[in-house]
Amino acid sequence: MNVQPDLEFIRQLKTAGGDTLKKCFQCATCSVACPLSTDKKPFPRKEMIWASWGLKDKLVTDPDVFLCHQCGDCTEKCPRGAKPGETLGAIRAYAYQQFAWPQGLAKLTTSAKNLPVLIGLPAVVILIMWLFSALIGVSGLHIPNHEQFAEHGYQHFFGSWNFYWYGKNIAFIALIMGVSALIAIISSWMGVTRMWKAMAADAKINATYRPSVFQFISRFLWPSIWETLQHKRFKECKTNSDRVSGHLPLVLAFIGLFLATCWSLIKNDILGLIWPSLHGPLWFWDPIKLIANVAAIAMLYGIWVLWQNRRKMEAEGRASNTFYDWFLIWEVAAVGITGLLAELLRWGGMPGLGYVVYYVHLISVMMLFLYMPYTKFAHIVYRTLAMCFERYRNSSFVQ
Amino acid sequence: MDKKYCAYICSGCGIGDALDVDGLVSMVGSEMSMDGKKHSFLCGEEGRKMIAADVEGGVNTVVIGACSQRVMTKEFNFGPQTITVRANLREQVVWAEMKPEEGKEPHQEAKAFLNETAADYMRMACTRAQKTELPEPYKLENMSKTIMVMGGGIAGLTAAKEAAACGYQVILVEKENQLGGKAVNWRKSFASQYPWTGLEDNPVAAMLAEVQGKANIQIKTATEVARIAGAPGAFRVSFKNAGSASEWDAPVKVGVDEQDLITKGEKPDPNAGLQPYTAVDANAVIVGSVVLATGWKPANVDQYEHLGHGRIAKVVTNNEFEKIAKEGKVPAKVAFIQSPGGKDNDDDFPYCNSVTSMVALKQAQYVCEDNADGQAYILYQHMRTPGHMELFYKSVQQNDGVFMTKAAVTKVEESGDKVKVIAEDTLLGEELVLEVDMVVLAAGMEPMTLHEHSINLAYRQGPAFLDLDLFDGYADSHFICFPYETRRTGIYTCGGVRKAETMEETIDDATGAALKAIQCLESTERGVAVHPRSGDTTYPDFFFQRCTQCKRCTEECPFGALDDDERGTPLPNPTRCRRCGTCMGACPERIVGFKDYNIDLIGSMIKSIEVPEDDEERLRIVVFVCENDAYPALDMSGMRRNGLSHMVRFVPVRCLGSVNMAWIRDALSAGMDGAMLLGCTYGDNYQCHFVKGSEIASKRMENIGDTLSTLGLESERCATRQVAITDFDKIPAIINEFVDEIVGMGPNPFKGF
Repeated sequence: MNVQPDLEFIRQLKTAGGDTLKKCFQCATCSVACPLSTDKKPFPRKEMIWASWGLKDKLVTDPDVFLCHQCGDCTEKCPRGAKPGETLGAIRAYAYQQFAWPQGLAKLTTSAKNLPVLIGLPAVVILIMWLFSALIGVSGLHIPNHEQFAEHGYQHFFGSWNFYWYGKNIAFIALIMGVSALIAIISSWMGVTRMWKAMAADAKINATYRPSVFQFISRFLWPSIWETLQHKRFKECKTNSDRVSGHLPLVLAFIGLFLATCWSLIKNDILGLIWPSLHGPLWFWDPIKLIANVAAIAMLYGIWVLWQNRRKMEAEGRASNTFYDWFLIWEVAAVGITGLLAELLRWGGMPGLGYVVYYVHLISVMMLFLYMPYTKFAHIVYRTLAMCFERYRNSSFVQ
Repeated sequence: MDKKYCAYICSGCGIGDALDVDGLVSMVGSEMSMDGKKHSFLCGEEGRKMIAADVEGGVNTVVIGACSQRVMTKEFNFGPQTITVRANLREQVVWAEMKPEEGKEPHQEAKAFLNETAADYMRMACTRAQKTELPEPYKLENMSKTIMVMGGGIAGLTAAKEAAACGYQVILVEKENQLGGKAVNWRKSFASQYPWTGLEDNPVAAMLAEVQGKANIQIKTATEVARIAGAPGAFRVSFKNAGSASEWDAPVKVGVDEQDLITKGEKPDPNAGLQPYTAVDANAVIVGSVVLATGWKPANVDQYEHLGHGRIAKVVTNNEFEKIAKEGKVPAKVAFIQSPGGKDNDDDFPYCNSVTSMVALKQAQYVCEDNADGQAYILYQHMRTPGHMELFYKSVQQNDGVFMTKAAVTKVEESGDKVKVIAEDTLLGEELVLEVDMVVLAAGMEPMTLHEHSINLAYRQGPAFLDLDLFDGYADSHFICFPYETRRTGIYTCGGVRKAETMEETIDDATGAALKAIQCLESTERGVAVHPRSGDTTYPDFFFQRCTQCKRCTEECPFGALDDDERGTPLPNPTRCRRCGTCMGACPERIVGFKDYNIDLIGSMIKSIEVPEDDEERLRIVVFVCENDAYPALDMSGMRRNGLSHMVRFVPVRCLGSVNMAWIRDALSAGMDGAMLLGCTYGDNYQCHFVKGSEIASKRMENIGDTLSTLGLESERCATRQVAITDFDKIPAIINEFVDEIVGMGPNPFKGF
């Protein structure tokens, strides 16, 4: 191997939480502690020397880097305080940037300095849309009176119900969130495709048969997702095992909220066409609404746990204070708090404040969607695909 | 001196319970014609008052039958004019009593055995008291208290500075035109204080200024020492201009046989044109002691062909790289190779110790300091950063541009204007190819004594230190126990000539050596021995009328204390002597002895042992025990109440080298059944405090074994055993098994003749 260390890569890792990586003296205590490590792959010892030698190409194509749960066992046991767990986190952050598209947007998400832009961008987009909805509609950019608010909640945010402008509100929501999600999906797709190819090339996989989409889903993707849902490997973590109690509610909350959103969409905008009475916010005792509320509380609980854990770890010197880690925590917290607050204000019948909070809620949701492929949230796709790759690599397609 | 004796026997510490103390007191009176007293707590105030009152009343030779001579030394010290002899009734008699096997009754005569043993120790002690004389220290009429420091590098500068700071005159000799040594060329030096991270400015300039400003340091540059004759307190140093030849250059050793050939003209004289070693140079400068700090030279690494030094211009040694760094900017990409490597070889370059590891860490920082994107690769087999330097290592490791891995370098080759380094077995898990601007090899620091005599002594045993191959050519020292010591009394080494070391270590080292040189001067002035028998006022007397000029003492003296006079008779240099008595053990004429330790004295002690006839349960075996390690081990064995055979009698000796075979003959002809020498380990990892004593003794014992066989005695009746001070638990097995062997052979057939 002709070694060309990338000093810039090392500097970037150091600013992204891997400031301790050069301390590693290759004792392999981390590999003993890590359940991912095998005899032939001393993980993350090997990754630590690659990192300290600035060998970025080897690192971003290493599935193990993405399989790491950052459980902290290695960091806890490390006799030199090199914090392998944190370093791996920094490598993942770097890898998301490497695979990301468009690069400009991705770069934006790496620094707290850009927070005004990061928040400003969705804020302006939604504000423009809000203004725009007022220009073309009957009652965009308005604060409803109490009766309207009680009846429609936030469903007339971008305009009132108008058959000719059927789905005006949903059209705007779809326009904002759909486009954000689409960008995220395309970006993620491009990213994971690049990663997959790079990993396959690095693992020297030269498979004759490619799995079909069905095979891919049934043999690799679904088992990976199922494993994630169970948090099986996450539970093997010892040092930071309490992170499971934050992460698991969070995952379930996202699923719950996703279901509730889908149901709301179907009820209001499909079934509502036939039975107009179905419009309006869900009834409190609607089972789906119950799920959504439980999920919202689970989300706040989960993020509270993770927030506390992070703070504790940093206070104890087990983790570094990085924008990469905190940005996602803030984002999720913002989504959860503004969402629940908006609902409470609706119940409380405070339309003015409610609309402002709802506006902030929309901003936070859009941020979550739009920046997903570049921030720590990207692990949702990269990690899942790395798990698929791990299964694929050991499958009959390759072997 | 008219001796007035009194023997005191203590009954404390269990001695009185186990022994018939009254019987011993009366034995001393009847057999040894000495007054005897007993006391239940002799080392206590009352007991000592009793003895002190007797000393006041005229007793000047005191025999103490109590604990070991190694303990209660202050309590039983009754002044320089009183001879005190100790009989070890506690550790080696009472506490070493053989216990019966479990469930068995003790031997019916066990009590008698123990009393007989104690009686023999009292007899020996009383005999010793009768034979010992008060020593008078040997003092030089004219002695110099000047210290000569050879070598003007970091070590020499420090030694000179420290010795001068203690008020001594110093002569600092440097063969180059200016002081400073190799360190002058270093760009930076390692961290020497908390937080042990950054590099520091080279301290040499400051040290130079300090040394040059001292009035009591005389500096001689461009000067070499042609020879050093004489002895501590009065060394005669002949100087010469550096690089020149002088008739006073130290001659090499020429043995008797070789001299015959030279005289016959069959062999060229290696010392042609040189003054004999005994000649006295009228122009010589007299100094008291010497610090040798002639340092080291960079090792030649051209022999490692795969590394390309000498063939590829961009492959340099660490020493050459330091010069480049001192003069200007170093290249941006540099590989530091710490071990010659190749396959299956994880040795470092020879003579590197831990220094080259730290040098590489230092020089890697030059690469990053001089170049914004500097990259320094350190390929090591071992990274050695002892002590605080671990913090230095950690700080360098934090540098983004420093890359380290364990690696076996298999090849270095030119590749355009770059150099390609290929290494295997790396921590990165695969073969490594590095393209760099320069390769630096961690060449070792070879001590000057590997290449030349350095010390240039005009001694009969030759100009150099002996057996330096045991230390890979480093100026010899018994490394673990006695740093700075050499086998040439009054000469202390420090710095690179002694060990590959950093500046900081060297400064510590040189300070130590300067203090040893001062200690030597002060001891010499008081007429007492230096290490390891520090303060010993005795020295060997030679009765030259009976000398046959056999030269055994001259040859065997581990410290080269004896020269020859014109007629070939040994010429003692008492201030070179360490008082081990190897000369006494060597002498077939038995004409060497000390006032308190001589052939007659020990011989009489042996003869004082009662040897019963026709009693197979009362065989007698004498064991000569080295006082340095074996005797303490024996005491410790007693403290642990390990049982030793009642047939054994221990005689302490200064060193096994001092054991004269006459004593073995005395023992066997007195009817004793066996003899053993118990002393230090010898060989490459010797532990002998006098370096050669135990080795010489074991050779002598082989010879006497042969002599025994010709007399029809089993040669196995004589044996030598080696123990370390920590081997106290092995002592019973060593002793008791030997006794069993002797019992198996049966009594000495010459018993009673």
